[in-house]
Amino acid sequence: MIISFLISIISGAIHSGTPLLYATLSETVGERTGIVNLGLEGIMLIGAVVGFTTTVQTGNPLLGVLAAALAGGLFNMVFGFLVITRRANQLASGLALMFCGVGLSAMIGASFIGSRIQGLNEVRIPLFSDIPIVGRMFFNYDILVYSAIPVAVLVWWLMFRTRWGLGLRAVGENPTAAFAAGKNPHRLQYQALFIAGILGGIAGAHLSLAIAKTWAEWMTAGRGFIAVALVIFSKWHPLRAIAGALLFGGAISLQLQMQARGVPVSSFLLDMLPYVLSLVVLAIWSGARRHATPGSLGRVFQGTE
Amino acid sequence: MNKAFLQIGFHHQWVASAIRFVGLFVLALVFFALILLVFGKNPLRAYADIFSATLGSAYGFSEVAVKMIPLILTALAVALPSRIWLINVGGEGQLFIGALFATWGAVNFTNLPVWLLLPWIGILGFIGGGLWGAISGYLRVRGWASETISTLLMNYVAILLVNFFVFGPWKDPESANYPQSAPFPDAAILPSFFGTRIHLGIVLAIVGLILFHFVLSRTRWGLEMRAIGVNQEAARRNGISTNRYIILLMLIGGGAAGVAGMGEVSAIHGQLRPSLSPGLGYTGFLISWMAGGHPIGIVAAAFLLSVITAGGDILQMTHRIPAAGVHILMALILFVVLARPAGKKGGK
Amino acid sequence: MSEKKMNLTVKLLSVLTCLALVLTWGLPEPTAQAKLKVGIIHIGSINDAGYNQAHSEGVQIMKKNLPNVEVIQVENVPEGADAERVMENMIKQGAQLIIPASFGYLDPALRVAKKYPDVKFVHPGGYKLAPNLGTYWASTPDAFYLMGIAAGKTTKTNKAGYVVALPISFFLANINAFHLGARSVNPKMETRVVFMGTFLDAPKEATATNALLDQGVDVLGVIVDSPITVVQAAEKRGAYSIGYHYLGVQKFASKGWVSGIAFTWGELYTRFAKQVMDGTWKSEALLGNLASDFLTIAPFGPVVPPDAIKLVNETKQEFINGKKNAYQGPIKDNKGVERVKAGEFWPLTNIGKMDWLVEGVIGQPK
Repeated sequence: MIISFLISIISGAIHSGTPLLYATLSETVGERTGIVNLGLEGIMLIGAVVGFTTTVQTGNPLLGVLAAALAGGLFNMVFGFLVITRRANQLASGLALMFCGVGLSAMIGASFIGSRIQGLNEVRIPLFSDIPIVGRMFFNYDILVYSAIPVAVLVWWLMFRTRWGLGLRAVGENPTAAFAAGKNPHRLQYQALFIAGILGGIAGAHLSLAIAKTWAEWMTAGRGFIAVALVIFSKWHPLRAIAGALLFGGAISLQLQMQARGVPVSSFLLDMLPYVLSLVVLAIWSGARRHATPGSLGRVFQGTE
Repeated sequence: MNKAFLQIGFHHQWVASAIRFVGLFVLALVFFALILLVFGKNPLRAYADIFSATLGSAYGFSEVAVKMIPLILTALAVALPSRIWLINVGGEGQLFIGALFATWGAVNFTNLPVWLLLPWIGILGFIGGGLWGAISGYLRVRGWASETISTLLMNYVAILLVNFFVFGPWKDPESANYPQSAPFPDAAILPSFFGTRIHLGIVLAIVGLILFHFVLSRTRWGLEMRAIGVNQEAARRNGISTNRYIILLMLIGGGAAGVAGMGEVSAIHGQLRPSLSPGLGYTGFLISWMAGGHPIGIVAAAFLLSVITAGGDILQMTHRIPAAGVHILMALILFVVLARPAGKKGGK
Repeated sequence: MSEKKMNLTVKLLSVLTCLALVLTWGLPEPTAQAKLKVGIIHIGSINDAGYNQAHSEGVQIMKKNLPNVEVIQVENVPEGADAERVMENMIKQGAQLIIPASFGYLDPALRVAKKYPDVKFVHPGGYKLAPNLGTYWASTPDAFYLMGIAAGKTTKTNKAGYVVALPISFFLANINAFHLGARSVNPKMETRVVFMGTFLDAPKEATATNALLDQGVDVLGVIVDSPITVVQAAEKRGAYSIGYHYLGVQKFASKGWVSGIAFTWGELYTRFAKQVMDGTWKSEALLGNLASDFLTIAPFGPVVPPDAIKLVNETKQEFINGKKNAYQGPIKDNKGVERVKAGEFWPLTNIGKMDWLVEGVIGQPK
């Protein structure tokens, strides 16, 4: 009983947490370079719809993922133009991007609602998937789930072990100083946003190609905003984002599991669980966080940017 | 409205920026027209229909006004804290909690006469939204969470809280178990004017605007707020309690959104429902931002967005443009405004 | 801004304003040829292969049956003020019959109906009437009972699961009927319910389906706006599924399809339109049942055993002939309280007050 409960919780956390992880990574890359993107929701929707429609038309979900990633990257370039080149208010631009993403994705996806796809199916790894218990917990997923942690590591490596990443973070801390040190802040920020867009597009694609295997308007249901909170929760660190995404994904899955088990708590209170949990954790870990905030980002949050 | 106009005075600069704004708006219309053409629609006819449906008739105009009422209040909820650079994205949640408190008043004090009950639930709405905002203010003061994030997350909690009450303890026993509160007694319904749906909330919105402008430009508090806005450290060293202002402004801002919530639940719906607000809080944020936190700008931006939303129905009805089209139009307008060259960036 | 530029801008603005005015009043209005204009507002997208699409197809069939009827359709209309405005705009466009196709539109519709006593309104699932507003719905519990029979005989694990939007009494009644039907052929049957908190959230529905499947459920039913996600998720893990709202869902579950309940509003809407046109329409609370042409039982899938199909059809006749009631006592709820005494039954007209779940159903009704 306990075993099956554990299996359900963990596999649910991994499953629901994967799009959150990609989304959090996306936002982390952007925020590390000093840019807050509240339009992540829009990027994910574009990724979801492009991924879905491409898969419907080509029959190949991998092409769908690719197309979604590309679409996300390009869509974020619009945002980049506004906040980097035009120095527009980041928060308002983000919300505008979200509206655009919602509307655009609805228009693109309208004629594809109700289409069937094979989607991203689970990939069985010979030997590993057959291990009792552990096999079901960790080796029974689609490739986007398997590649989520490697991608997180890749992002970490890019940001903390390459010169490019160093420049990116320098821009995030203090663009003027970075500029004086010979970096090109604008170019770095554009590059960062492109990568962030790719990650966001993949997050959306996972929702439509792997989890739901369908397209519905606004199917991200706020997950983009949750990712923005998760970035802070994970102190802008790609590896800690894994924990955050798992926690939140786990909370979503947990409340549904609890309902399925007949736990006598109102479904609405259970629904609140993920958000309250995030708030509590945010509050508890506030101290160390202030130092972890990228310098120029602090100004965005204080409104003085 | 006239009062505010006179107080500001006919600024040449102000008119110029308004005209530039209109020019940008026209540019966005051109972009949208291109999109319409791509989808095979007639943009001229579409715009003409929007115009006539909203401004071409008294009814249309009244509907625009109905939409503007909560938007002005939620915009104020953002504009006030923004004076000291606080970012309040929680208008939605504050609106819901304001409606929640107002509903409590309406269903528990059914025996009060209208001239007592109505102000009472108005006050409750303010308290509800204010408390919700103040929580975020407190979290910010203690350094536990930036108000941007906490207000965002608390939006979700607020909506779920309303769901809980409306599905559980407050569910209307007559409503086939559908999640809504009992209908408000007549004494708790905001009256409307002239057979339109413009309700008393419009007075609150206008009063809010006037107070906002007056306090900021004519009182010592406004002066202190501006000082904080210019340089927080210096203000603090000069004895201004920034922490107090943070909590206070988040409280009053939240309260404004709460009053909007009370207006919606009392005048528009007549009972508390999960579907109370179609994103009014977020739209208010955009309006406040677009207007640079300026009262006249808030009215203008609210007017603009209300026309577009109200006109969106016509687009669907006669031109078969999907509902998403309105989102895109709004986004386009925002993009165009945002992308203007960095010459005249008016605050937040 | 320079004086010259200001002048230019003012001129430009005046030109534009004139243009706008000309366009508004100068262009000819399209002439009305239709004998009847019907307006329908949807809460969601009409391509959801579910609730909204069922209504939309209904009006399309009505249009096909009656060529001189024109349809005005608006999707994604939020409840409340927006709904009222859209309905009024439709009326201003000449609509004489309005279909506010969502439960939450009832109060807005009633307010608009009061303002326009000559316009007729028909509301699906409503519980209040007005002289010019009637309600209609198909009473689904009997149909769910039949689904329960089919599920009870098809299941291998004796566990069924339902993914439901909200714990509204209509939905609870459906689940109860399903469970009672299943229990009537399979005394070991248990039914688990998970509530979404919303009518449409595809990833959440998929996760919920998996959560139910993890509990050993092998028959999935669904009461949300779009049944595709749940049916697909069930099919993927080799479970059986029962559809709702829309017949087209069957293609998503070629192997595990049991059956489904669909709303086929076309002929009903045609009748409404005809009645409005020849002046015979009257406001009433129309409650259809298995015998009505707007409630359809979907074809059975290959997994359903033939004796189950036979029993379903026989029971269906009993319901139609009035010889059977889904909620025959004694019935206890899942907290142990007796709700229906032996020899009595819960009347279908009282469905609105059913806020409990039958014993054997695992879930929280509140």
